[in-house]
Amino acid sequence: MAELIGSFLVLAGAVFHFSAGLGMLRMPDAYTRMQAGTKASTLGNTLVLAGLAFYHPSWTLKLVILICFVLMTNPVSSHALARAAYRIRISMTPQTVVDALRDAPERIRGRS
Amino acid sequence: MISTVVLSTGLALILIGVWGMLTHRNILRIVIGFSLMGTGTHIFIVAIGYVANGTAPIMDRALSVAEAPARAVDPIPSALVVTAIVIGLAVTAIMLAYAIRLYDSKKTLSIDAFTESKW
Amino acid sequence: MIRRAAIVLAVALFGLVFANLAAHYAERQSLLPLAKRYVELVPRDLGAANVITGILLTYRAFDTLGEVAVLFMVAAGVGLVLAARGRRNESSPGEAPEPPRPASEIVQTGAQMLVPLIAIFAAYIIMNGHLSAGGGFQGGAVIASSVILLLLADPHRRLDLDFLSYTESVAGVLFVLVGVAGMIVAGGFLDNRVLPVGQFGAFFSAGAIPVLSILLGIKVGCELSVIIDRFRPELSTERGSQ
Repeated sequence: MAELIGSFLVLAGAVFHFSAGLGMLRMPDAYTRMQAGTKASTLGNTLVLAGLAFYHPSWTLKLVILICFVLMTNPVSSHALARAAYRIRISMTPQTVVDALRDAPERIRGRS
Repeated sequence: MISTVVLSTGLALILIGVWGMLTHRNILRIVIGFSLMGTGTHIFIVAIGYVANGTAPIMDRALSVAEAPARAVDPIPSALVVTAIVIGLAVTAIMLAYAIRLYDSKKTLSIDAFTESKW
Repeated sequence: MIRRAAIVLAVALFGLVFANLAAHYAERQSLLPLAKRYVELVPRDLGAANVITGILLTYRAFDTLGEVAVLFMVAAGVGLVLAARGRRNESSPGEAPEPPRPASEIVQTGAQMLVPLIAIFAAYIIMNGHLSAGGGFQGGAVIASSVILLLLADPHRRLDLDFLSYTESVAGVLFVLVGVAGMIVAGGFLDNRVLPVGQFGAFFSAGAIPVLSILLGIKVGCELSVIIDRFRPELSTERGSQ
């Protein structure tokens, strides 16, 4: 029974990873591609590791620590990449409606 | 079966890397293609050393010293690949340094701008 | 048109050769004689649980020393190729490069939390070279990744290049000295029995292999940090290292 739940979670994680890959192919510009890649693949990682915890219950603490590491590092690196892309003025797709960083106050934006 | 799948993945990565190096015009994408080709080669070399129903050649709770010669996977390709990864990193670093200097000279990253270097 | 046809032809030919390789591949059922000898010898003579580290740091340690030399040459080569960049930018008039902007708060806070964890992880990988998967090269690369994170979080930070060069040179010299000690005291160059082999699987075991792993990790970490520092743009403001 535990293996069934674990397999289901790993399968869900694999589906999210696949959607991350599909999003990176189909999205129109760099920023949306980064968003699709990071969010979906972080959730996919979390689900796969949680499913693995059901297969090997003795590894649960280590897997929880791993999930914390993934949650700490993946969004930070994607944020750094997106800010760098904005700074070297990579163009946004023409369907963009809001550019929150351009309208943000100076202390948040720094100089760019 | 497992090693055939891994082997084919490595060979597919080499093909993708070669195609990427030949097709793209941007220098950084050519460097990425080269790196992909290197990674595919490493995967291929490690997959060759697989022994049927084998496990990693590290003696801990899963593999005792007595049964290691019967069940361990070949350690020599793995040792070669550790060296090869470092060499791949070294070559990539030099290629990126060259890419920076090329960009400084012509202000573009497309290799079509450098055709006059041929004799 | 011709170019595209030639590319397709080249990739197709490669694909044919690879398909032939993959089709004629059959899994081995038992180890090669040389591999079997290594797998038997390493836990018995060297006392190391990780056969690959035993091979890399004792039986084929001369190759590892050559690898260290290759890394040193790469650091020198990258420094040579990129050294002319700073002088050219000063001499040629035109737009000056923008000074690096401080990193956003998320990256700074993340770096403050993550750099100690990455350093501890790197030390763990280096020390575990002879017991489980790990080793000097792997740990050195992780140390260099923590240095990258430091540089990303604070673009104005200057690395103390003198200290890094001095440390990596000392680590390399100590590596060769341990090897020469192997020639004098034990079986040959870089034989690990200069230190007691100890109990199998214990932390202080496998002779000189942990010492060699530490030296290798320090050298590779410093080397890669120097290479990464060369790729940064020349900083126009003079700020001391911290």
